[in-house]
Amino acid sequence: MGHRAVTAYVIRRCLQAIPLLLGISVIIFVLLQMTPGGPMAAGEGAATQVSPEQIARLRGRYGLDDPLVVQYFNWLGGVLTGDWGSSFDTGRPVLEAIGARVPVTLQLTVVALVLSVLIAVVVGVFAASRQNSLVDHAATGASFIGLSTPSFWFGIMLLYVFSFQLRLLPSSGLTDLRARHTGFAAVLDQAEHLILPVAVLSLMSVASLTRYVRSSMIDVLGQDYLRTARGSGLPERTVVLRHGLPNAAIPVVTVAVLALPELFLGAVITETIFGLPGMGRLFVESADLRDYPVLLGILLIAAVLVVVSNLLADVLYGRLDPRITYV
Amino acid sequence: MSSALVTPAVPVVRSARGRFEAWRRFRRHRMAVLGLAVLATIALAVLVGPLLIGYDSETIALASKNQPPSLAHLMGTDELGRDQLVRVLDGGRLTLSVAVSAVVFSLVVGVVVGAVAGYVGGALDNVLMRVVDVFYSLPSLFVVILLVILVGAGFWPIVTAIALFSWMNTARLVRASYLTLKQREFVEAARGTGVGHLRIAVRHILPGALGPIIVTATLGIAAAILSESALSFLGLGFQPPQATWGGLLYEAQRPVVSLGHWWRGLFPGLMIFLVVLSVNYVGDGLRDAVDPKRRRS
Repeated sequence: MGHRAVTAYVIRRCLQAIPLLLGISVIIFVLLQMTPGGPMAAGEGAATQVSPEQIARLRGRYGLDDPLVVQYFNWLGGVLTGDWGSSFDTGRPVLEAIGARVPVTLQLTVVALVLSVLIAVVVGVFAASRQNSLVDHAATGASFIGLSTPSFWFGIMLLYVFSFQLRLLPSSGLTDLRARHTGFAAVLDQAEHLILPVAVLSLMSVASLTRYVRSSMIDVLGQDYLRTARGSGLPERTVVLRHGLPNAAIPVVTVAVLALPELFLGAVITETIFGLPGMGRLFVESADLRDYPVLLGILLIAAVLVVVSNLLADVLYGRLDPRITYV
Repeated sequence: MSSALVTPAVPVVRSARGRFEAWRRFRRHRMAVLGLAVLATIALAVLVGPLLIGYDSETIALASKNQPPSLAHLMGTDELGRDQLVRVLDGGRLTLSVAVSAVVFSLVVGVVVGAVAGYVGGALDNVLMRVVDVFYSLPSLFVVILLVILVGAGFWPIVTAIALFSWMNTARLVRASYLTLKQREFVEAARGTGVGHLRIAVRHILPGALGPIIVTATLGIAAAILSESALSFLGLGFQPPQATWGGLLYEAQRPVVSLGHWWRGLFPGLMIFLVVLSVNYVGDGLRDAVDPKRRRS
């Protein structure tokens, strides 16, 4: 498989994503039309009292009397050039308002993803290598339970145990506002604030990834070449970790990449429970305030994230598995 | 020979026997049977339970506010002295009605889109599947929240919003079934005897596609409950005094976390958990039952 073939495949996959992105933009445009005040309100910032003449003049200025198709392309042009309107609430440009909230969500999501993958690989490989043992049944049962536990309930009950009863961990926020920590103490302080949110956010992904790792590993362990490896007298440990795991990892990487948008979505709940100033919290605050430009902006970012993750998962899948050829 | 006499016989008989076989296989899945029993119990409890308890969910009794569980109030009371058990049962009825309605709605959309795409094929299939892709890419929780605040929270807006963003799986599965089944001899035979396309699609192919439809519908109930609960937990769902399980958890946040009234949070969440867990096990059992070739792992 030549390098050029890979590039060609990646380019073709990206081109395929374009109609998808256009479709998403159409739906978001439809939602924008449904908002009270419509796109004009979105362009004008905070709602104010205006006379009918002013409205008529503004309608003309923003091209609201143009046919919908023309309006759509004007809007799309704005979105592509970074003009996402401004927040009803603060008047700040939408991209700026969202950008300010990205670091918290990013931190939370990345930590949760890394942790989920680590736990899932350890538990999944262990369970698969002892298929149908007590450990295996326990792991499978636990992942079923994890998948069925609503994260918001888990979060509240964790707060009750660790924050209210044991007084071990803080109940909300990102830093301790009373004690102004510096240096290493500040890092520790922030880590302490992230333990419960990360636990809540990881619950679902740990559970689903463990199932994937386990079944992917069981598939691989049943293959002929592993029987050969075993037959040639290699210790079971080497067989599982050196020969089994790398092959089982291929589908797992794909699923882990696909878990990214799920985690992003989960951040809405997590950030709300723990009062963390991230994008998810911004979405809920904006929903309370009916701040549509911000809501649609976050929706657009989330949808693009889904498309990009899918693309990445496809490309990685082929990149890691030499048996896949790009045609 | 009259076409009505010949055509439906073969697939219908086959699927009836299949159904019996499927039930036998389902019964072997112990957790699935247990899950079904739990679901039946909860359904019965939310339907008749409130009639058997001496309280109603809106009566305020400040004298007995914030009580932990006791014999008089099995799930305790809230800050207005309302009996939590009745509120959980009433809320459960609302939660389950929303979930079941949303699943029925999304099933109709998914089956119609999938059947049309798979049966007609060609360019229409292509377009419909791209639409499915677009809906898949929109994160459902975000869109559901947006739609509900745009239209206003109420039973039908919430049901519609959830259904509008959960039909895609059904559509893909139904399309796949139609693509394979329409190639089979019995379809050709039916067409040869002059049966119309609509009748073939509904009477001859649909029964064969039922298996995966039932499985996704079952699992869809779990997903719909979680969507509605998340919406209500964020305070954007049903408005008080109506409260689904998610709504009860929304109200419970402060009492549990700052006052330690654990019973306010434990019970509504436990109900969501039990229902979702049971539905997942039942779905698992059904999947094994309708697709015996699937390896149990």
